[in-house]
Amino acid sequence: MSFSPGRITRVLAVQPTTRGFGFAVMERPDGLIDWGTKEARGDKNKQALIHLAALIGRYQPEVLVFEDTETKDSRRCARIRLLAQEIAQMAIKLRVRTRRIPRRLVKHAFAETGPTTKPWIAAAIASQFPELSRHLPARRRPWMSQDVRMSIFDAVALALTHYGRIEVRES
Amino acid sequence: MSHKLENYLRTHRRRAGLTQDEVAFLLGCKSGTKVSRYERFRRRPPLETVFAYEVIFRAPARELLAGTYQRVERTAVRRARLLAQTLRGGKQNRLTTRKLAALNAVASSVDRTQRAKR
Repeated sequence: MSFSPGRITRVLAVQPTTRGFGFAVMERPDGLIDWGTKEARGDKNKQALIHLAALIGRYQPEVLVFEDTETKDSRRCARIRLLAQEIAQMAIKLRVRTRRIPRRLVKHAFAETGPTTKPWIAAAIASQFPELSRHLPARRRPWMSQDVRMSIFDAVALALTHYGRIEVRES
Repeated sequence: MSHKLENYLRTHRRRAGLTQDEVAFLLGCKSGTKVSRYERFRRRPPLETVFAYEVIFRAPARELLAGTYQRVERTAVRRARLLAQTLRGGKQNRLTTRKLAALNAVASSVDRTQRAKR
């Protein structure tokens, strides 16, 4: 995708988790506007959609990017798959374009940065956006569950894959 | 192409690693409530606050409040063109020529900036 420096395409990338979702708002491949996690309790999908609608209302993104859970290699649970469908339906209602990116494509996009593991991709993103470095979770041990903050990096990775430009920086 | 957001105060604050309460203290507010409202585009910061933000984030107001700036710029240019049109229809003298030159400069400088952005 060609990208002129003056043009802005606001992208809202979301990555659902067991406790809600992580999000990142970008206007350019180097322009991170907002990021964070939203917690959903009770009816998780309903709560997540409420939070997401508020984010769409505030940032009015041109494109809503999220993981493609329909691919064969996707290992997301049934609830997340359903949430992805509901997000797509909501985006249609709110007239926001959507782009579903399979995990495979994200890994391919980050292949130049080194091993395409989650922590490695997160470290590459943290080096590109120093403001995110404080959110970088400690190395996950086999007995630990995934840190919720990792979803922020997953969301940024999705957004960067959408832009099709990943800067490789020496860290 | 997306239009600019009303303001980028939240982005700058988070890049600086400051909390809303800390920014509120810097601005001389009691709590972070006002800061939150500015960041969620629910309230427009007054001129003194905008200057304070400029100082805190070391960024120009037109960058911090990019959406507002764009809107004001469009309106000013439209009004400049209108006034130029009115002046062209009236009596011509040296003063009118000077005014027209100033008004044309307004429109052309904005056009140049927009072309450069594209």
